[in-house]
Amino acid sequence: MLELIFLLPFAAGIAAFILPTVLGRVLLLATAIGHLTLGVLGWTGRLTPLFEHFFGASPEGLLILMVTSFIFTCIAIYAFSYAKESELGAERVFSGCMLFFLGTMSMVTVAEHPIVLWIAIEATTLVSAPLIYVHRSQRALEATWKYVLICSVGIALALLGSFFVTLALDMVELHEPLSFALLNSLATQLDPIWLKVGFSFIVIGFGTKMGLAPMHTWLPDAHSEAPSPASALLSGALLNCAFLGIYKAHILMVNAGLGEFSGNLLVVFGLASMVVGGIFIYKQSDYKRMLAYSSIENMGIIAVGVGVGGVGLYGAFIHLIHHSLIKSSLFLSAGNILLAFGTKRVEQVQGLIRSMPKTFVSFLAGFVGIAGLPPFGLFVSEFLIIVAAVRGHWYLSVAIFVLALVLVVAGAGRVVMGMSFNEGDAPSGTGEKFVRLAPAYVLLLASVTLCVWMPESIYTTILHSIQAIGGFHG
Amino acid sequence: MINFLEVILVLILLTVLLSLGSTRLVALVRIMALQGVLVSLTPLLLKGHGLASLGAVAFYVAMLAIKGVLIPAMLIRAVKSVSIQREIEPFVGYHASILMGLIFLLSAVFMTNSLHLSLPEGRALILICAVTTMATGLFLMLARKKAITQVIGYLMLENGIYLIGNALSQHHSLYIVEFGVLLDLLVAVMVMGIILTNINHAFDDVDTTLLGQLKD
Repeated sequence: MLELIFLLPFAAGIAAFILPTVLGRVLLLATAIGHLTLGVLGWTGRLTPLFEHFFGASPEGLLILMVTSFIFTCIAIYAFSYAKESELGAERVFSGCMLFFLGTMSMVTVAEHPIVLWIAIEATTLVSAPLIYVHRSQRALEATWKYVLICSVGIALALLGSFFVTLALDMVELHEPLSFALLNSLATQLDPIWLKVGFSFIVIGFGTKMGLAPMHTWLPDAHSEAPSPASALLSGALLNCAFLGIYKAHILMVNAGLGEFSGNLLVVFGLASMVVGGIFIYKQSDYKRMLAYSSIENMGIIAVGVGVGGVGLYGAFIHLIHHSLIKSSLFLSAGNILLAFGTKRVEQVQGLIRSMPKTFVSFLAGFVGIAGLPPFGLFVSEFLIIVAAVRGHWYLSVAIFVLALVLVVAGAGRVVMGMSFNEGDAPSGTGEKFVRLAPAYVLLLASVTLCVWMPESIYTTILHSIQAIGGFHG
Repeated sequence: MINFLEVILVLILLTVLLSLGSTRLVALVRIMALQGVLVSLTPLLLKGHGLASLGAVAFYVAMLAIKGVLIPAMLIRAVKSVSIQREIEPFVGYHASILMGLIFLLSAVFMTNSLHLSLPEGRALILICAVTTMATGLFLMLARKKAITQVIGYLMLENGIYLIGNALSQHHSLYIVEFGVLLDLLVAVMVMGIILTNINHAFDDVDTTLLGQLKD
């Protein structure tokens, strides 16, 4: 029963609201492990959907499901200690909403019906809003309001886009239950005008949630004001889910022979996001906001990769996996720094190398990874996307792409080096602790491992994911 | 014979224009309740729709209850709890807003007629009505200061989208899916209501101009 993948976290979430807070933390961890097991079962094809009109296991969905599940397990271990030390006000709400969040994200990954996919993505917004407001400050309130309102309006436009796509199906005079498979099989008969309008709205709508510029304005606020475990989940898992919505629509467009239109649109939004990310990272004085802008930039890279197609598609999926691992690790390290120094201002954090050597290592290694330097996987993926873009004669795009990457490395490098090596006072807050260090290290280690040794099944799943739109040579 | 569908669509357009000119929040919420009821009734008057099965009956009753009663009741409570009765405080004046509404309507007519879209018979008027409603919803979100009018603008946007999805499209067999969409809307308004109350506690007002601390 494939539906268990999201029903289990829902049930656990309800339990977390009722049970005492200490049990809630244990529940978070237990559910994470249970979810990972179910994910592996789904991955090996041992779970069949009960409602096959609505749910099913697609390769790209499974890939994102596994990434989400793995990250969530690491974050659950981290949250075990973080929740106690940062004195979260409403810990029951925190644990419950984290679990609901996992449930809704898993539902996104197994949705096979366009409107069910939409319902699940909107639900992720609603259940993650309380996570941002956990600290109950005025700033957190503002971030939550912007998040809920901007994302809801954006996602409403995606619903409009999905309806336009179903309108295209109406013209075919066929009365079978709607699903992505049905749409793809009839793709060439669908009315291209409705498809184009529909896809544009879907990109704007889900793009808002994915953090594509210029609809990204909620993202830096939400990611910086949320407590660090929630930020790591927002950045490492949620953005991928929104991407999945766009990707499924893109597959349909390619099947309908409109791949050039949708690809161009994705490249334009992707490059805009990269430039915005690069510019705002360069002048950033808040290290969590810096990480948030880096997420915008990386989502841009993924959009460009999918847009240019061919080997870039493969690069985009590699990028998605490694970005999730490295960025969530960085947010967890940032959480450690925040606990110790009690501030998110860059200029007030100094001398990490002496005061917090272990966090320093994970933070710096994360920076090296996110900057796209070897031995981390983002180097490979960015290289592949550039190769694909050059092959497709997107020379101007390649120039902008590289320029934005350089800006990000320069900006983030300045911030990270300053925090690490400047002379300054030792922090007065909570010190380093194994439970909060290990998850950050494990996530980084996973990224390095995947770079050196990619298991055969992951490789084939990525190939299956991109096969629908031409694979390597498309 | 009176064409009930056209009557309802005209009434929806009337609620849209009324909402642009209304100066009191409670009145605005009542207009939204009326619009919710009208929008929920639209698909029933279309050829081929109607109350075919038990599931359909349950769905339309639930929708009427949520759009016509539950959501307006929550909004009224939010208005009362933040003790703002009048003064919507527009960035754009009321008369200018109504003029904007008329411009939206004209552009929607122009757009529908000039695009030559492949629409089912007699559905052009629904598209015009839906586009006007959506545009006005977005306009209300931008043109009013109080955070609660943004929630109302969002609702109006959703109403417009619903008109497109349910009335225009003929895929209406899966009520469970539509119910999911409705449930999302209900929870969204609930969450927004809770945040509104908290904003009022934290800032002593629900003015969106106060929400400007976070920026680069």
